[in-house]
Amino acid sequence: MIRIFLFFILFVQSLFGYNYDSLLLKADSSIFPKIMLMDKKIKNKLIDNKIIYTIVYDERDYETALDVKEYIENTFKKYMNGYPYAVDLVKFSQLSVNTEASALYVLKSSTENIKKAANIARQKGIISFSYDINNLKYDLLFSLIIENSTILYLNKEYLHTNNIDFVDSLLSMVRFIGKNSI
Amino acid sequence: MQKRKFESLSFKIISSIILTSVVIIIGIFLSFETINKKAFYNVELQKAKLIVKTIEPLVAVDIYLGMQGKMKSIVKELIKNKDILSVEILKNNKPIYEVKSKNKSKSLFVITHNILQPNSKKKIGTIVLNYSNHNYEQLVSKYTKLLMIMLIILFIISALLSIYIKNILKPLRKIARLLQDFSPEKKLQIKPMKEDNEISLILSALNEMQEKIFDFASKQKDINAYLEKEVDSKTVELRKQLFIDDLTQLPNRRKLFNDIANSKNDRALLILNIDDFKEINDFYGQSVGDYILIEFAKELQYLLKNEKEIMLSRLSGDEFAVFFQHKPSEKSFMRVINNLTKEIEKMVFEYEHSEIFIRVTIGATMDSNEMLEKADIALKLAKEHKKYFLLYDKKFNVKKQYKENMEWVQKIKSAINDDRIVPYFQPIFDATTQKAVSYECLIRLIDTDGSVISPYKFLTIAQKSKLYPQLTQIMLEKSCQYFEHRDTTFSVNLSINDILDVDMVNYIQKCIKKHNVNNKIVFEILETEGINNYVEVSSFILSMKQLGCKISIDDFGSGYSNFEHILKLDIDYIKIDGSLIKNLETDINAQIVVETIVDFAKKLNLITIAEFVHNQAVFEKVKLLDIERVQGFYLGEPDKGIPTDVDAFA
Repeated sequence: MIRIFLFFILFVQSLFGYNYDSLLLKADSSIFPKIMLMDKKIKNKLIDNKIIYTIVYDERDYETALDVKEYIENTFKKYMNGYPYAVDLVKFSQLSVNTEASALYVLKSSTENIKKAANIARQKGIISFSYDINNLKYDLLFSLIIENSTILYLNKEYLHTNNIDFVDSLLSMVRFIGKNSI
Repeated sequence: MQKRKFESLSFKIISSIILTSVVIIIGIFLSFETINKKAFYNVELQKAKLIVKTIEPLVAVDIYLGMQGKMKSIVKELIKNKDILSVEILKNNKPIYEVKSKNKSKSLFVITHNILQPNSKKKIGTIVLNYSNHNYEQLVSKYTKLLMIMLIILFIISALLSIYIKNILKPLRKIARLLQDFSPEKKLQIKPMKEDNEISLILSALNEMQEKIFDFASKQKDINAYLEKEVDSKTVELRKQLFIDDLTQLPNRRKLFNDIANSKNDRALLILNIDDFKEINDFYGQSVGDYILIEFAKELQYLLKNEKEIMLSRLSGDEFAVFFQHKPSEKSFMRVINNLTKEIEKMVFEYEHSEIFIRVTIGATMDSNEMLEKADIALKLAKEHKKYFLLYDKKFNVKKQYKENMEWVQKIKSAINDDRIVPYFQPIFDATTQKAVSYECLIRLIDTDGSVISPYKFLTIAQKSKLYPQLTQIMLEKSCQYFEHRDTTFSVNLSINDILDVDMVNYIQKCIKKHNVNNKIVFEILETEGINNYVEVSSFILSMKQLGCKISIDDFGSGYSNFEHILKLDIDYIKIDGSLIKNLETDINAQIVVETIVDFAKKLNLITIAEFVHNQAVFEKVKLLDIERVQGFYLGEPDKGIPTDVDAFA
């Protein structure tokens, strides 16, 4: 019985995808593009003079990714801080080094996929945001949680990537986190 | 005293120090006002700005990311700073957060700072910070106190310095006071100083100088005493020389003037002049002349020794004065004069076996005014009239004559200067042909109003004033020039003085040669004058004849006609005196004299000329007496030019 219940849960899960906190998704959609813009080297990450904010998702989280995209587009009305932008949705399976992206927003997935996304982000020298704070231990860069207030977390081991240089004031308000402290 | 205080060295030094201190204080104060105050203000302002600038990026991130919780904690932390009075965050000009401090301050800075989007220049909000300038006020207050303390210290230092300088210069003041009483005769007691400084050097130098001055003054005093003595003796000598005649030792002319000027009484004066004293001098020599003057003075002194209030003095060479300090009675006055005359006539001066007699002429006045002039006039008149004595009388009217004479002298001088001395020409006719054969050049003075003045009015005065030679020269020059190119003879009058004057004779010769008139000119010489100076006249005639000139004896028969002399002189014409001619038709004696002269002249082949022919009867008589040439107003008056076509009288 118990086996049946667990299977059901897994089946439903695989059928309907991961669970997401809509408030957190909204916070991510609102804050992460702005953090991306606080990178002093954002100009180096433009693709055809355009910011491409790439949401990496599991196939079953397509709807969630689409919601995030929609929410971003509603928030930022065609331009991000003066730059034209596009929100691309890319599956983990399709993600490669050649994927055009100015930043990656990584939804929940398997450890393997998460590591892949983190690896590609590192190779491309772009910022990676994680919905799940736990994924920071797989070398994603940013994440946030909402408690009494919104708290930003930054993977301090990933901070010294050559192609990323945040404004100083950002660093004074984030909480640094290491692999072992998650 | 007050002025001296201001000019004193100590005052100047002290005032310089005070002035410098004041300038320094003012400088510090001004620099504080302009630099420090501003600097303090800016420091506080910069502090406030720095705070705002520091929190701005943090606030910016918070606002940008919409994480205002963080911003509030920053602001709350900020407000703990006691200098921050309030912080206000505005987004889109609307306050989103404001915190105020409990601290209050009336004076504050308001810093408004834009919040820019991170990594962008886009304004996303504003921070308004009210910052207390309490620190600034505190600093200014501290600094002002410090300045006041400095001022007081400087004032105290200046005052102490003033006292110190005054003390240093005190010995100098003491020396100055001592030196005020300095005199070359009195040595000052200047005590030397213990200190070895500049003032002690001055003191020792002053002492040395005092010694030298003292020595010099004592020598000078001796010299001065000697000089004073010398000056006194010279003064006495000069005073004596001033009022005493060197030769006779009588009071001199100056003394007489002094006595006359100082005497207020009625007085009288005699002037005695030794007659022909010049002849004595020339004949016996100057030393004999001096001897006679000395002896004469002694005699006069002797003669007047008993007369009271009479002063004898020597006026000039041969003139002595007897001044009566109180006017005597006429009788007494005359007694003195007669006595003097009588005694002087008796005087005999012996010199080297020669006996020399003298005569005197006396002029006198009893009028107290202008005594010297009046006595002198009386003397001159006495000489003129050959009287031994004359008392001045106001009827003499001599002064008027003198005045006229002086006016005439002036007139002659101005006529010479203005070229108003001209010759007028009177024709001399041949009695037979009745043609003008010659012209006599007669001098005329043209007055400033154009009137013609005859020579009898000014010639005598000209002779006295020594202007005569000039007139002769003018006449000669103008006459020779006039007749230079005229084919007729002309005659010019010469005085004996002209002939005796060597320069004049030279001038005559040059003038004749210059105008080439030696064969035309006739010189008319007065018979009387010529006879008295026979030798000189003879020599002149000879030299003129050698040049080809002719000689005429003028006014012949007017005096004692010396035929013998005339015979010896090589003359050409005899001009019979007008006094013989003018009454010739009636005066039998004149006819006899003229007949004799004509007869005499004819025998000597001399041409006779009758002047002063003033009417027909005289003219007829002249012709009858066989006088060859005639001249006179009846025949032709003198004129400034001669006719060119008419050569016979009407």
